[in-house]
Amino acid sequence: MAEKAALGRHRVSAIIVSHDGQTWLPETVAALTSQTRPLDYIVAVDTASKDSSQQLLKSARIPIIDADRKTGFGEAVSLGVESLKPVQTETIEWIWLIHDDCAPAPTALEFLLQAIEGRPQVAMVGPKLLGWHDRTHLLEAGVSIAGNGARWTGLEPLEYDQGQHDGIHDVLSVSTAGALIRRDIFEEIGGFDKNLALFRDDVDIGWRARVAGHTVIAVTSAVVFHAQAASSERRMVDVEGAFLHRPLLLDRRNAAYVLLANSTWWMIPWLAFQLLSSAMVRSAGYLLVKLPGYASDELLAVASLIVKPTIIFKARKDRKAKRFVSSRIVSAYIPPRWSQLRLSTSRMFEAVRSRLLPASDTPSTSILNSLEDEDLLVPTKSLQWLNLFKKPEVAGFILLSLITLIASRMRLGSLIGGALPMSPDGARDLWKSYFESWHQVGMGTSQAAPPWIAILALCASIFFGKAAIFLTLFFLVAPIFMMWSSLRLFKKITQNSWISVSASFIYAISPVAIAAVNSGRLATVVALIIAPQIPILLIHWKEIELHSWRRIFLISLVVGVLTAFTLSVFVILLGLTLFAIFSDYLSFVADQGRPLFLERIKKRLTLLLVPFLLTAPFSFEALLAPSKFLSEPGLSVAGGEASLVILGNPGGIGSLPWWLISPLPLILCVALFSSSKARTIALFGTGFLSAAVLFSSLSIATHGNSAPSRIWVGTFLVGATGAACMAGVVILDRLRMVLITSNFHFRHILAALLLLFSLSYSVLTLGWSVSAGADSPVQNSDSTVMPAFLSVEKDTKTLVLREMGNAGSKTVQYYISRGKDISLGEPDVAPPQVSEIAAATQALIDGSGISSSKVFADFGIKYVFAKAPFDKNIIRTIDGLGGFTRASATSVGVVWRVAGVTGRLVLIGKDGDRELLEAGEIGARVIVTHPGRILLTESYDRSWLVLQNGYRLERTVSEQGSPLFIATQSGEISLLHDGTIRRAWLSFQLISWIVVIIAAAPAGRRKREISDKELA
Amino acid sequence: MKRSLLSLLALALSFTLATLLTVTTKSSVFSETYPEVVCPPTLNGLSSQISIASRKTAFQRLATKSTKTIPFNVLRYPEIKDSLIVSALGTTPVIWQSRSGSWAGGTLCTGPISSQWFVGGSSDVRTRGNIVVINSGLSAAIIDLHIYSENGKQPLVSINVAAKSLKVISLDSLATGDKSLTVQVVPRSGRINAFMIDELGAGLKALGGDLVNPVNSTAKTLVIPAIPNQILKRGETPSAAHILRILAPADVDANFTLELLSENGTFVPVGFNSRNITAGVVTEFVLSPKIVASSFAVRITSDEPIVAAISSKFITNGRRDFVWSTPTSALTPMKMAVTGLSPIIVFAADSIAVTIEVALVNGKRSIVTIKGRDVATWRVPKSARSITIIEASRETYAGALVASIHGYGYLPITPGSILAKVEIPHSNIRVLNP
Repeated sequence: MAEKAALGRHRVSAIIVSHDGQTWLPETVAALTSQTRPLDYIVAVDTASKDSSQQLLKSARIPIIDADRKTGFGEAVSLGVESLKPVQTETIEWIWLIHDDCAPAPTALEFLLQAIEGRPQVAMVGPKLLGWHDRTHLLEAGVSIAGNGARWTGLEPLEYDQGQHDGIHDVLSVSTAGALIRRDIFEEIGGFDKNLALFRDDVDIGWRARVAGHTVIAVTSAVVFHAQAASSERRMVDVEGAFLHRPLLLDRRNAAYVLLANSTWWMIPWLAFQLLSSAMVRSAGYLLVKLPGYASDELLAVASLIVKPTIIFKARKDRKAKRFVSSRIVSAYIPPRWSQLRLSTSRMFEAVRSRLLPASDTPSTSILNSLEDEDLLVPTKSLQWLNLFKKPEVAGFILLSLITLIASRMRLGSLIGGALPMSPDGARDLWKSYFESWHQVGMGTSQAAPPWIAILALCASIFFGKAAIFLTLFFLVAPIFMMWSSLRLFKKITQNSWISVSASFIYAISPVAIAAVNSGRLATVVALIIAPQIPILLIHWKEIELHSWRRIFLISLVVGVLTAFTLSVFVILLGLTLFAIFSDYLSFVADQGRPLFLERIKKRLTLLLVPFLLTAPFSFEALLAPSKFLSEPGLSVAGGEASLVILGNPGGIGSLPWWLISPLPLILCVALFSSSKARTIALFGTGFLSAAVLFSSLSIATHGNSAPSRIWVGTFLVGATGAACMAGVVILDRLRMVLITSNFHFRHILAALLLLFSLSYSVLTLGWSVSAGADSPVQNSDSTVMPAFLSVEKDTKTLVLREMGNAGSKTVQYYISRGKDISLGEPDVAPPQVSEIAAATQALIDGSGISSSKVFADFGIKYVFAKAPFDKNIIRTIDGLGGFTRASATSVGVVWRVAGVTGRLVLIGKDGDRELLEAGEIGARVIVTHPGRILLTESYDRSWLVLQNGYRLERTVSEQGSPLFIATQSGEISLLHDGTIRRAWLSFQLISWIVVIIAAAPAGRRKREISDKELA
Repeated sequence: MKRSLLSLLALALSFTLATLLTVTTKSSVFSETYPEVVCPPTLNGLSSQISIASRKTAFQRLATKSTKTIPFNVLRYPEIKDSLIVSALGTTPVIWQSRSGSWAGGTLCTGPISSQWFVGGSSDVRTRGNIVVINSGLSAAIIDLHIYSENGKQPLVSINVAAKSLKVISLDSLATGDKSLTVQVVPRSGRINAFMIDELGAGLKALGGDLVNPVNSTAKTLVIPAIPNQILKRGETPSAAHILRILAPADVDANFTLELLSENGTFVPVGFNSRNITAGVVTEFVLSPKIVASSFAVRITSDEPIVAAISSKFITNGRRDFVWSTPTSALTPMKMAVTGLSPIIVFAADSIAVTIEVALVNGKRSIVTIKGRDVATWRVPKSARSITIIEASRETYAGALVASIHGYGYLPITPGSILAKVEIPHSNIRVLNP
């Protein structure tokens, strides 16, 4: 009775704001009329609905106030409030805000009023919002705003309401849908902000009520079902300020407005940064899922406030006038950053989990369905761990892991050897090497760094910048990844795990895999891991039109990553594409299917050219130096002969001995005459093998090695090996059933021989890998070539002489060092030898080089270093030549200083006197004491500039082909290498990758495209 | 099936093409040059004549800083003082030095060395000899002198020689008071040549002298192919005409056997079968073979590496002189300038077959074939300017004996500069990878 009396003290006037709400309005009206606590008054404000909303309201005999179509929610509410009659002094008047797309439960108002009883400080109270369609879906129980402007409910996405949040909660604000606001306070704080026509007006009014000294609570016993029609784009947003009717833009703009207008002034810079950065991140995300409209909304929202800052200043002034307590009191209701992070991480893991481990469609069996006499405490299924090891997958991976670990015992540390140079100190060095427009290698070069350096740098960054650790781990786990990757492919072909696991095991210990790991062939190892994924993605190579454009771009992206490591992939793809186009042409000439032919050509060319573009300018430079198409990252190390390659073994250092013949070529041959799908696969495999054999006869001089060395055909053999394994899987899968069901005949013998061959190969290879193979060229080493004292003088050029090769066939080789050993990426950009230096070095060795020291000095070479052990006769010869003074002779080697003034930057006076200028690593700022010619002892490049007093000095080419600048006066000069072209290429590359990633990414859906069921 | 066969055919074709087209990568390319040779200087009181095979042969003086070369324009060049650097291009020039009325001797102008053994000279009161160390390079050099005497190994002597200069070291300063010297010259750095002049005197009386030809390395078998043997006239008293000086420089004592090869037969002289010598000690043995030949050869075999030389005494025009005969390497094709020398060449081998081309001063050429067993001698025509060993039987050794009015001399028939086959280096960034 007392309760009823108390409730009677309150007068509740419902204000319905209607805007094209005919879909939901009938239920809304019905819900209002069926409240257990009847409403005292009801009024509707219709903002010129174009549908039958007005008729519906009129038929319910609800008074209607007409408003303009552009009228915002707050303005509409104000119109409604103004229409309410004044009340008696002892009565507390409440305004119940009802959206036309929300329907309160019958007890909603009653519970709301019960909650405020005994809480005189409450100015605003809101219900628990549940989904309109799925009425178990919890939408909100109070609302706040995150520092980045996100609407914060503290709930999981699509959280099921089980009463877990029930109670009365002190909150920053509540949604305006079903919110009950005290009229006097509403009028005291000035109602809704007119700048917030729609969205976030609820957070704003709650915040203002809070700082005015009032309380806002959420009462979960009161329930309102909300369709969220505007935010889910179920109706057009027509309010003033909603640019192009874009709800997201309005929402983000209003979020930023609320934060900037209400927060304390010293938080503004931090908030502005958060808003901008989060808008950019979200834009990138939207771009990634191909929603450019949403992406632009994010940025435009922030921009619209930046261009009109006076709105914020005015809003802050208004709020200051009505503020009773500090804005900081709301900080308790602002979600901490860690909870945002936790929620984001949780969402991400859930997304990954649902992708990798989709929920089983198998209906779960209730334990209650078991036999009644069974003890319910006894588990229905016991897990036997030993059975786990009997699974071929587990056994295969464990065996391979153990073998790999034993075989890699010499590779546990910083790796050097074979084709693999020393790893740089950190990812930073790799990034620097990638971004630099000038590389201090040899006489210097402006060649484009290959894109694999950026990929490696990215991976190394994940390992806290430790490139060496990443590479060690990469080579350690590479065989396991190869097996995993190929297993994914083989599982698509056969259901029999024993066959697929055995095939993937052989793939991981194939001759090319072992040689690639042992000799540090980065590209081949990457190809062995990635290549099996390509047939999974590109199922319809022949009927390529069956693949969507998104799939084509996804494959292009994968191939692009491979091409970044070696352009051999492009050569392979070019061959396959030309063959396929020719084949298509023959088919379509007969069938007159021109449109389909063109469609196929488009997709095939996209697949061919996109990876080529992604790797520009490195790929473009290869057009001028075609040997790059057949080279691998790292040092130029010779591959094997054709007689070895035809057996699937790439040869070269670190490869299996010739007598360890793999069964793969035999499988290919058998598969060629099989009647199954294996034959098609074998045709591809034989093609790869033929190309590998053909290319193995060629020798190229590249990557800083002037002597031609035989091409390493590992990448081609990856295709042949993969195809052979695939064909083997297909044959065995089919043959198994035939052998079981048929009598003993030649197929049984053939299968037995094949298995025996494979088994013996596996056993012998594993034995070799853990014994002789462990002493591979790639090993853990911390030795260096250059003595420390030659690294002291910054960027000093030293001609390093070294005897290379075996004891019986040692050859003298040389290169120019910049005071340090080479590191990863540098051989790939190493310039070819300079003929003058080559001639001077030859003369130095044969003793005829009277002018060698002068040539070296002209090229800025300050020291000659003969790395021990070295031919003593040659050392004596150099001793005998003029212009070389012994600087040291230690166990490391002999060092001579080249006579004359030499260095990186030399000022040559009119009388020919030379003066050494201080020069940095690339650029320099130095004072020239007199006019003269400034010789930069680097390779000539048009991007070298010397500025004096803001003017460019005239640049010419010296006799040695180095840049020479004419300084007509003394003064400070600035030497720099203009990296504009490199930066332009990097921008092009970045844009290309982004575009292709976006094109390859699954497309996101606009909210209006999401079904009601999904939205709840 | 057709496609499968075509595919296999393509594979076979690729393999055939690859096998046929494979270009054998020649990773090593060589540059062949003859290093310039250095002739010793003419020390005070001496006179020198350098025999050259061609007037166009160019030289530069050691003392001048310029590296410019000028042609000799003559075939026998008298040098007053300097050491000469000769661009002989494979021909070995020969220098003949003499002290008027005292002694004469010859040696080869040689290329830079890595090690030289001089078995000869002494450090006692009679010695007036020197060792000349020449640095023909353009950088300063450091040279070690390892000295051995009858008292064992002496302290190491290291000397610095400035670029394009020489240093003359008196032999008596190396192991003062010791009679029997053997010196090894080892350059630590630099382009070095060394020459030794062994000259003896007692007061004002000259006791003869000679240029000691160097031995490049120790060996277990040595052949000294030309040892002059002055036949005693009736009534002359036989004396210790030949003295074998021998050293086993390693740490282990050596046993050696000396075999004498002469026109009178091959035999081991009494007392020279398995003789023991102490390691590191220079030992001398008197060799007085009773033979009537004017020259002979010896073959010394040892169980440890040794160096050796034979000093032969002479009396010429009443003056005493001596000649140091040193081991040579087996004959190989080579060319030697002999203008004005007309030497007698002694060949030593079990079976001798040597083809020589003789170039005369007038430009004519003739081919001479020498055949024999054990020892064969051949006098080079007086008008010859060069001899070229075109072909030689295996393990054949040769030395030349030269007589002049000032005395006798010995020249090993061995190239003064060896064709230096140097591999042309190529640039490879791999040298910077540990």
